[in-house]
Amino acid sequence: MNRHLWTAAGLGVLLLAGCGLSGGGARQPSEPAGNSLTVWFPGTNKTEIDLVTGTIVPKFEKETGTKVSVTFLDWHDLSTKLNAAFAAGTAPDVFGHGPAAVADFVANDRLEPLTPYVGKLSQQDRDDLANALPGGRVGGTQYLIPLSMQGNLIAYRPGDFTKAGLDPDKPPATWEAVSEAAKKLTKRDGGKVTHAGLLLPSQPIGRQQTFAGLLGSAGGDQLSADGKQVTFDSPAGVKALEYFIAAYQGPEAVANQLGASYVDLPVAQQPLVTGDASMTVLAPQTIQQIVRAKPELDIRVMPVPKFEGAERGIALGGAGPGLMINKDSAQKELAWKFISYMISKGTSVEYTEGIGAIPARVSAIESDYVKNSPVVQAFLQQAGNFRPNPNVRGWTQIRDVMGKHLERALNKKVGAEEALRQAAAEVDTILKNG
Amino acid sequence: MSTLVEARPGTSTGHRAPRTRRGSRRWVGVLFVLPAALYLICFQLVPVLYGLVLSFTRYSPLSRSGPQPVGVANYTRLLSSPEFGQALLVTGRYVLIVLPFTVVIALGLAMLARRPFRGVGLFRSALYVPHIVSLTTVSMVWLWIYSQHGLVNQILAVLGLSEQSWLLEESSALNAASVMRIWKALGANMVLLLAGLQSIPTVLYEAAVDGAGRWAVFRHVTLPGLRPMLTYVVAMDIVFLAQGFAEIFVLTKGGPLGSTTTVNYLIYTEAFQYNRFGSASAMAFVLFAFIVAFSFLAIRGVSGRRS
Amino acid sequence: MNRTALAIASFLVIMPFLWMVSLAFTPEEDAFGTGSLIPAQPTTDNFVTAFADADLGRALLNSTVVTVVAVLANCLAAVAAGYAFAMLPFRGSTPLFYALVSTAAIPVSVTLIPLFLMAKSMPLAGGNDLAGTGGTGLLDTLGGVVLPYLVLPMNIFLARQYFSTADPHLAEAARMDGAGEWLVFRRVYFPLARPLVTVIAIFSFTAVWDDFLWPLVITSSQETQTVQLALARFLSTGNVQYGPLMAGAVLVTLPVIAVFLFNQRSFISGLTDGSVKG
Repeated sequence: MNRHLWTAAGLGVLLLAGCGLSGGGARQPSEPAGNSLTVWFPGTNKTEIDLVTGTIVPKFEKETGTKVSVTFLDWHDLSTKLNAAFAAGTAPDVFGHGPAAVADFVANDRLEPLTPYVGKLSQQDRDDLANALPGGRVGGTQYLIPLSMQGNLIAYRPGDFTKAGLDPDKPPATWEAVSEAAKKLTKRDGGKVTHAGLLLPSQPIGRQQTFAGLLGSAGGDQLSADGKQVTFDSPAGVKALEYFIAAYQGPEAVANQLGASYVDLPVAQQPLVTGDASMTVLAPQTIQQIVRAKPELDIRVMPVPKFEGAERGIALGGAGPGLMINKDSAQKELAWKFISYMISKGTSVEYTEGIGAIPARVSAIESDYVKNSPVVQAFLQQAGNFRPNPNVRGWTQIRDVMGKHLERALNKKVGAEEALRQAAAEVDTILKNG
Repeated sequence: MSTLVEARPGTSTGHRAPRTRRGSRRWVGVLFVLPAALYLICFQLVPVLYGLVLSFTRYSPLSRSGPQPVGVANYTRLLSSPEFGQALLVTGRYVLIVLPFTVVIALGLAMLARRPFRGVGLFRSALYVPHIVSLTTVSMVWLWIYSQHGLVNQILAVLGLSEQSWLLEESSALNAASVMRIWKALGANMVLLLAGLQSIPTVLYEAAVDGAGRWAVFRHVTLPGLRPMLTYVVAMDIVFLAQGFAEIFVLTKGGPLGSTTTVNYLIYTEAFQYNRFGSASAMAFVLFAFIVAFSFLAIRGVSGRRS
Repeated sequence: MNRTALAIASFLVIMPFLWMVSLAFTPEEDAFGTGSLIPAQPTTDNFVTAFADADLGRALLNSTVVTVVAVLANCLAAVAAGYAFAMLPFRGSTPLFYALVSTAAIPVSVTLIPLFLMAKSMPLAGGNDLAGTGGTGLLDTLGGVVLPYLVLPMNIFLARQYFSTADPHLAEAARMDGAGEWLVFRRVYFPLARPLVTVIAIFSFTAVWDDFLWPLVITSSQETQTVQLALARFLSTGNVQYGPLMAGAVLVTLPVIAVFLFNQRSFISGLTDGSVKG
């Protein structure tokens, strides 16, 4: 091989690479041209990306004569990137996250209070957003503007109900009745559940959410209203956790695959689609995907059950992910303009329809999106029964601690009461130390 | 082509150069090392030392106040943390499960793939594919392989055995993750061992041909000749396996019941979920101490005397 | 016999990859729907989507530039350093060697943020002054992306191990002819270390091509994204786009396989150079 040729080629590549390396980014965030805005969105949902970058942003840029650069980040990449950016002072003007993350940003003085900005909205707009806005407040101050609502409900296969002698038009209204129905729907081989009557999310994050919903339906609460006291280690908590355990353990179990993250499975593998389960708790996005892919299954959604004797059923939900403004942003007015554009009537419906979420605006009930989707209608009807996780500092850690002790109880390593007592002690320390 | 080993006259010992040349050669050695050393000191060692300083502080990158000194509190808390203890044990078990399999199988494959024959390149490439394929993407396939109706359970069903929840049982989750990691690490080890096999002097084989069985040749010629490379393979595997994180993150998220929570998984959570970089750094340096100690023992074991 | 055993092993090892290829040709809704390796209704739509949605072309170009630079830097600097640690020891070289190599045993989570801060304050880059302030340094540039890979510490270790078995007498003849140490390295040892250089090239290539966390943090615009970042767009938690993801992943794996296939020829066992035939 001709060595000179290689050397020349090597030098050529180096030169090329050198040019590439020094070029790179088209945008220099250091020089915020008076009218450019950086936005980080949580999630890399295709429809959302197409909608935001293809329609919403170009429209906004045209109307305001500005330049918006949007980056979409998957959920578990978000914290990593935000951490580095805040440490270096290069965080974006606007960024999104779930409500549970807001309190930590507030505690570190990273967010612009949005109450004055919300005050500039018309009364009509504020009323229309009344379901969504409270979920973005910490200590009474608005910091996050939710773009959608979220929630989990039980979806079921009516065909299975009929076969088991149950009426698919009258789904069970209490958790006790759900359990009875589930027992009829469950199939076993020896001691093993081969077809689950009811699946409740039991993966790390899911089990805390399942517990929170059951707890609410039994009349309990995770933390006190001021977020300073643990309240889940109550009789209602024990009742909720024992119900959860009984679904997975014992001769009368109705669920299998404890710990599996069925909610994240592809449509073709969803237990409702494969026929591995008759009732599963799911988010509206997934249910709509299933309905679209397998219309013949006629998947339906039931209202939130409550425990007998309790006032009403509670499901985990409420304000969904939203947008916040970086306190150090040099473009706060423009940033707010962008957020208010995102939640304006037309854009808001278009957005929530695009991602298959529950609309943030009450008036969306009139939209074609809701009118054409029985699933979304069912979720909207239940909006009053959705309760969010508490907005307190250190919530991620609290959630994980609860998940850890719930898992021990679900695996029969420790009794329900003891598990909750231990979890409460640990959560208490986190709340006190902040 | 000639290889550097061919010209090597058996064993080479004590080679002496004139004093003056040796003196100047010392300086030349520094110059050879300089670019890499300067770069690594700036972009590896400095960040590591910064991390070491952080391990004695309380620090959240979100905070405006910067790191707050806390002395050795992060380390003392680790001592009394059952989670950290369990994670150390899990990490140790993980290394001990994966290491022997991946080295022995890779050695076997390297022996099979060392001679050229038509298509050997394709086989070598196939064996190296796991190392280059994006981990997060291929984990989707592995999740399915281990799932309720996945490949493993389908095979079990054909054999008339009952299905298992591979990633959901405390008893099998770490083993299942280990299998994936062995699969992922095989190719890299094989490539290294292939390169190592090549540096064994042909004359040694020729000398051994008379009367020696295959096993004897392997034991007395191949294995000793492979030692420097084997040492590297074992050390590299320990360093990277002990930092196992990505495969755990995609397969089990550390569960069930913490049975797959490795130290590096805890470090990631502590740093990027809870924003506690001080305590994450402390964990990292305890892990570092274990890695260094363990590699040292292993290197001594493999290489006999020298490191 | 060897060939059969290798064929079986290769098939087992490549199975998961074959599944990825299969999924790449499977319509989105059917992903993992059947247990069959051959898609019932094969489609090439996923490849189109992968290119259109993730701007894979741009990402491939960026990754190539970054990878080439890192491979060249490693093949020169790491090999030279490993050579010197093995053949030209100097006072303090052993502790220096351990200090440099041991940095590989610290998890990235710890060094990520300091490194990010350093990239931002790189003097005279991205509008920075000599003190590294005023601009964005190497943030969101390909120079920033390549920063942590220029010399991978384990490559120095590998090179040292390799040269530790090299014959010191080879140098003598050259030295007698009055060749300087650089010439000895370049003319005598470097050409003989072809398998080593190949391994270091392949490993550096893979390390850079595959990394996700650092490019994720350091880049922010589409113009600087690497292949793994481009793929991440299909990896939305709970809403994975299996078809395009697999299509993209298969596509970005092919160049690496090609590089490997081309280079693996340098691993010709010493056995065949002698009289013993396989």
